[in-house]
Amino acid sequence: MSATSSANGQELLKMVGIHKYFGRVHALRGVNFSVNRGEVVGLCGDNGAGKSTLIKVASGYHMADAGQIFFEGREVKLRSPKDARALGIETVYQEQALCPHLSIARNIFMGREPTTVLGLLDQSRMNEESMEALASMGLKLRSPHALVSALSGGQRQGVAIARAIHFRAKLVILDEPTIALSVKEVREVLDFVRHLKDQGVAAVFITHTLHHVFSVADRIVVLAHGCNLVDIRTKDTTVDELSDIIARGTLGDAAPTHKPESEAAAAALAQQATCEEDTEAEQEI
Amino acid sequence: MEAKGAGSYLPPSDYPAKRLVVDVERKMQRRTIQNLSLGGFSTPLVFIITILIFWAFSPGHRFLDPRNVAAIAKLTPDLGVVALGIGVLMICGEFDLSIASVLPTCSFIFTQLLMAGVSPFVAFVLLLPIGAVFGLINGLLVVRTGLPSFIITLSTMLFWRGIVYVASGLMPISILPYIPTGSPFAQMLTGQIGPVPVQLLWFLGIALVLGVVLHFGRLGNWIYATGSNQDAARAMGVDVRLVKIVCYMIVGSLCAFAAMMQATRLGSFAATQGIGFELKAIAAVVVGGTSLRGGVGSMVGIALGVFIIQILENGLILLRVPVFGVNTFIGLAVILFVIINNLTNRQLAGQGF
Repeated sequence: MSATSSANGQELLKMVGIHKYFGRVHALRGVNFSVNRGEVVGLCGDNGAGKSTLIKVASGYHMADAGQIFFEGREVKLRSPKDARALGIETVYQEQALCPHLSIARNIFMGREPTTVLGLLDQSRMNEESMEALASMGLKLRSPHALVSALSGGQRQGVAIARAIHFRAKLVILDEPTIALSVKEVREVLDFVRHLKDQGVAAVFITHTLHHVFSVADRIVVLAHGCNLVDIRTKDTTVDELSDIIARGTLGDAAPTHKPESEAAAAALAQQATCEEDTEAEQEI
Repeated sequence: MEAKGAGSYLPPSDYPAKRLVVDVERKMQRRTIQNLSLGGFSTPLVFIITILIFWAFSPGHRFLDPRNVAAIAKLTPDLGVVALGIGVLMICGEFDLSIASVLPTCSFIFTQLLMAGVSPFVAFVLLLPIGAVFGLINGLLVVRTGLPSFIITLSTMLFWRGIVYVASGLMPISILPYIPTGSPFAQMLTGQIGPVPVQLLWFLGIALVLGVVLHFGRLGNWIYATGSNQDAARAMGVDVRLVKIVCYMIVGSLCAFAAMMQATRLGSFAATQGIGFELKAIAAVVVGGTSLRGGVGSMVGIALGVFIIQILENGLILLRVPVFGVNTFIGLAVILFVIINNLTNRQLAGQGF
């Protein structure tokens, strides 16, 4: 599927032929997607391309109507976010990542609070470990008791990512992590992603802004109208070429005019072809 | 002013003595921050000021007369026990108006059980889960339909009110034959230990248990998260539907408890039990610093809020305000308290962090 190797056993997450319907809307039409260990994959596409739906399937928020999901080589069924988390897939949503009225420590341990023998929260452990987790992200916050509502947008992303890696996530999915952030905050968030990579954690980075993803991603996958459009190494392409393809929503005439990238473009075209076959097959049923 | 205390994160130390100091310091920081963040700061102040005002202005300082204090201590828990549950529910972001009807319905069921020859103690044990079932119905309706809980529980309030009116024919039913004054059961719910009414001890005990659950337990963490940002809580693995249902069931059980306590105190079932509790409970909880939008509130604040509402009512009557005009002043006071709460919270938020 992906341009990068699937043969060397490095494949962490692999999604094959994923279909998802919302009522009559066919949001995903046989999408293939994969992430290798320690790899940062950018997931791009215009509004309604199916990016969010795809990662919600990967994080157990939605169940796919058809298709297979493999994690570390084994087929898995993701029925709830809990299932995904148990495997080591953590998702960080931009708008809804944290609870603003609660402290940093309480947010980091939400849903997995350590308890003392009396069944009460082990608050000192929560506080100590959250400061450690934040430090590992290069994030220096004054106190684990500070409320999340007092943090900047970039810091909140840092807390959410620290939360994910503290629980030994193998794959962190970042849903539009740089949307509505200032330039300085964007730089912070991109640094967090590099920290993730340094620790050997794979990441999927969903964004509208190609410039952001280009500086951290190893590979970029583009969706259009619920189908795969492009799957290419970052070093084999350029921001201009990809933004052109995304705007057009199809490879169409793009392939001949961009000779240097023809190999990758051909692979992507092949992928588009499979997608169309799938939809036809779907219609027959 | 608090920002400084909050800022100095101290790494763990190897020396036991130093470690102890560090621990104590940390605990103090935590407490300050929690008090500030949970909005329970201005409520104690308002509580004390209210008492001082009524003490100063009631004729002959009658407000702090032991008999008046005892009367407040006996009356407050009826509303108070239910309001504690409502507070927890509102922190998780939901309302329950149906308490006004669930309470007399539970009281009616209690009376019927007694009349059928069931021992009051057995009836007591049966009533708590029955109350929880009323809460379960509310909770399921709210999470299944996704409609605002205000509407759902308004409907169930009207529903149960009708049922209990028809079933009882609006006639009071004496329970004195089954629970004579001074009987062990009456002692358990409405007796006295020394000068202290048992009702007050029940109220404080329930507040303590709920407070520990809310502030130091996992469930409490989930309740705050659900009220603060439901989507985030769900994404982080909290079963927000279950949390809401559990909160409704707590309210239902506390309604059953309050119903029995009140019926025992009155010596009778009355179809008018609990009327007006739905809004008074919300008023008490809001005066206690709880946010109507959820995610903010504390058990200490809620308990004090209940006392403030009850003291207002009692104190105004002592000040010779006409009984039927008391609500006017309570209404004014609630608005005033909420404005004070918001102002102090905003100021603290501006200073902190």
